[in-house]
Amino acid sequence: MIRVQQAPFDVGTEQRRLLAGRSDIGAVVSFTGLVRDFNETPDVTALTLEHYPGMTESALEQIVMDAETRWSLEGVCVIHRVGRLAPSDPIVLVMVASAHRRAAFEACDYIMDYLKTRAPFWKKEHAAAGDYWVSERESDLIDARRWK
Amino acid sequence: MSLTHLNARGEAHMVDVADKPESRREASASGRIRMQPQTLALLLEGGLPKGDVLATARIAGIQAAKRTHELIPLCHALALSKVSIDFHPDVEASCVDIVATCRLNGRTGVEMEALTAVSVACLTLYDMCKAVDKGMEIGDIHVDTKTGGKSGDYSRASLDLADEAPMVAPIVTGTGQDGEVSLGNRCDIHSACIRVKCLAELRERLGVGEVSVPLDSLISADVAGLKAALKTLDPRFSRLDEGRILCAVNQVMAADSTPITDEDEVAFFPPVTGG
Repeated sequence: MIRVQQAPFDVGTEQRRLLAGRSDIGAVVSFTGLVRDFNETPDVTALTLEHYPGMTESALEQIVMDAETRWSLEGVCVIHRVGRLAPSDPIVLVMVASAHRRAAFEACDYIMDYLKTRAPFWKKEHAAAGDYWVSERESDLIDARRWK
Repeated sequence: MSLTHLNARGEAHMVDVADKPESRREASASGRIRMQPQTLALLLEGGLPKGDVLATARIAGIQAAKRTHELIPLCHALALSKVSIDFHPDVEASCVDIVATCRLNGRTGVEMEALTAVSVACLTLYDMCKAVDKGMEIGDIHVDTKTGGKSGDYSRASLDLADEAPMVAPIVTGTGQDGEVSLGNRCDIHSACIRVKCLAELRERLGVGEVSVPLDSLISADVAGLKAALKTLDPRFSRLDEGRILCAVNQVMAADSTPITDEDEVAFFPPVTGG
């Protein structure tokens, strides 16, 4: 399941939904990304996330499909928030269920790496020093290359 | 064009439709009620104190369509052959869209019946949910389509692109649209045209969010040709060559050599920074 939304999400609710009625799942791994109060500058007071509706969903679907061909997965949930967020707000949730833990750990890591480098989201940070668009990080590109 | 409900002296009157031929008439109207996410969740779970909200609102809308002539002074009483009310909850936008369709074989249109049905269904939704959410907002009520009759078929979606363009859901979710403008003539509906979007930091640097480019203004029908045409249109577009600017054609990543055809949507944007 893939969702792009402004509203917050609850990890517990999403996990219950993913696992409901399933007894063949032996492992579920989830990653939650949060807004930090420091990034390119200190004192980040808010973040505005923009996306490209339509392409965002299809890019995320493609990433999840790629993960599903690489690992044997029993369920995937990706939620990404857009709009204005404050420090400590959750931004992104990637939750992966599988029969055994290794596939769930690795697929969760893989989906996050590709989400950061392929899905059309852009962050604008509002800080004490002014507003600016976050620039791409070399380390994210290197992380995504690990899976080649 | 004149107002049929006014007579020669400008007084309101009911139009005599006795001599009009009967024809199959159908009209659809829609509206929207916005609410708190928790209210929508309760509504969908059936957890509201007054019970099944959507079923009640549907009956209210159907009843209202049948009684339109009692509410709107110069409307005829019509023997409707069909009234349907559909609800489309939108969790992301935290609202419910209501669509009403009315039909009859008769001498007058049924758009007033469809509009009345939507309005009363919205009011009933409000009544059913107001115990938990008094800030709900009803809006966007309009006729979507109308068929049959002398004045011809009408479809809201077939209006000129130029009127519709500002209605398109904004690319930006959040703030930061300051200074955004549209450039050049919007292509009219009959000429081949490419829709170009500039996103995120690129939009702010250029001060341009959307622009339409006639397909025949391209030297070559590909992304490189489009970039050249944009630069001719406005020198600001030379920024498309600065740094790393990515491109998607019809929402799929593209390169300079990617071909472009009529009605394509091309987006330019900086490297992504989500997650």
